[in-house]
Amino acid sequence: MDSRKTVNFDNSAGTYPKPDTVRKSVADAIRTLGGNPGRGGHALSVQAAERIYRVRKAAAQFFGAETENVAFVPNCTYALNMAVKGLMQSGGHIIISGWEHNSVSRPVYALTRRNGVKCSVAEIYPDTQRTVEGIEKLIRSDTLCVCCTAASNVTGRILPYSEIAELCKRRRIAFVCDCAQAAGVLPVRVGNGISFICVPGQKGLYGPAGTGLLVSSGEYALSTIIEGGTGATSGELVQTPQMPEKLESGTLNTAGLVGLGTGIEFVKNRGMANILRHEAELCRRFEQGIERLGAQVYDREMPRVPIVAFNISGFTSEETAAELSRGGFALRGGMHCAALAHESLGTGKRGAVRFSPSVFSTQAQVDALLNFMEQRFGKHTREKSRT
Amino acid sequence: MKNTFFTMSSITYAMKAKEYLNSIGYHCDVRRTPKNTGSGCGYSIVVRDDPDIIAGQLERRNIPYKGIYSY
Repeated sequence: MDSRKTVNFDNSAGTYPKPDTVRKSVADAIRTLGGNPGRGGHALSVQAAERIYRVRKAAAQFFGAETENVAFVPNCTYALNMAVKGLMQSGGHIIISGWEHNSVSRPVYALTRRNGVKCSVAEIYPDTQRTVEGIEKLIRSDTLCVCCTAASNVTGRILPYSEIAELCKRRRIAFVCDCAQAAGVLPVRVGNGISFICVPGQKGLYGPAGTGLLVSSGEYALSTIIEGGTGATSGELVQTPQMPEKLESGTLNTAGLVGLGTGIEFVKNRGMANILRHEAELCRRFEQGIERLGAQVYDREMPRVPIVAFNISGFTSEETAAELSRGGFALRGGMHCAALAHESLGTGKRGAVRFSPSVFSTQAQVDALLNFMEQRFGKHTREKSRT
Repeated sequence: MKNTFFTMSSITYAMKAKEYLNSIGYHCDVRRTPKNTGSGCGYSIVVRDDPDIIAGQLERRNIPYKGIYSY
């Protein structure tokens, strides 16, 4: 199949296509930014450093941080590992939600095995107050951190992250917020209890894959989990103590980060509210269409970022996704690297199919998908409902 | 007036200092620190204005620097 003709409805894994401005800026960076930023005093290095600083400033403004509190990382998983392990390296107690991606649950599990960290998993209820009270009941004298996603990567369900942040602020506990699905559609900012924001570059910020951000409020210092060359304090064996270089060992992905900066500008110019409105409208249209086919839609009544998780009766999620792929539509079936979330959703065995549009998705594309689904699944589900 | 080097703790702070000083009307460049100040691989900002005024501006904006050298 010609992948260029595939319609991408798996934008939660990575937005595609990218804005023209992003594509051009990456190409331009590869062509013109030949120096290693922060690794010399020659013109090429300083030029690259100045460009990287502009990206850092754009990210800092976008997430309400000081420039030096924005660390560039390869992806959101790295950001989450660096935040959680950086806080919990010496043990203690951490609370995570039952809706976490493996990028949270696996490092936390590893910490429990290797570092003696204790972990509690908080239930998330439709009622915000009940959720927050549940988390507060789990807080112990050695609780150092709450880590939770702002929005589920499985169903899009928005967790009460602002209220959880307020709780953490009141109880003086660090709050690590996984914004993998929220950044670019919800106005998340550090401060007011949000200690760290972890973000992928390639999703809602429309940057290239291989980029990500760990944004800090500056209230908590992280121990490092990776050390090495930072371009600063090079005569000393001890890791550079200053942010952000402390967390940025090794050469940065200059071209990718330039693309990320351009992606952030794209989102700012379009407006997050406009992007959210467009994508949510496409989700509503899709949801109504598949419900006519008898599909089961998950978390339908919950506040969500633009994601629709569903299953078609009589098909596994992987079978449905494979069939849609044959028709030229990219949707993701299975577990979405989020075993804990699927367990909470009751789809631990079956998984689900995920539909996630981008700002470039169109109503015509959604209708084409629905027509294809009607052809392939409509008859089957109608027969199934008669038997 | 002579060049004054403010040695900075990182390239990020050097860039931040440059941007801030430029924004309030002071000319400033980022350069490699010209002598070994003990930790190696340092960046400085170079200014031609009164170093006391520049130091005060940096402190006002909470931009740390490590030392001041005139050449």
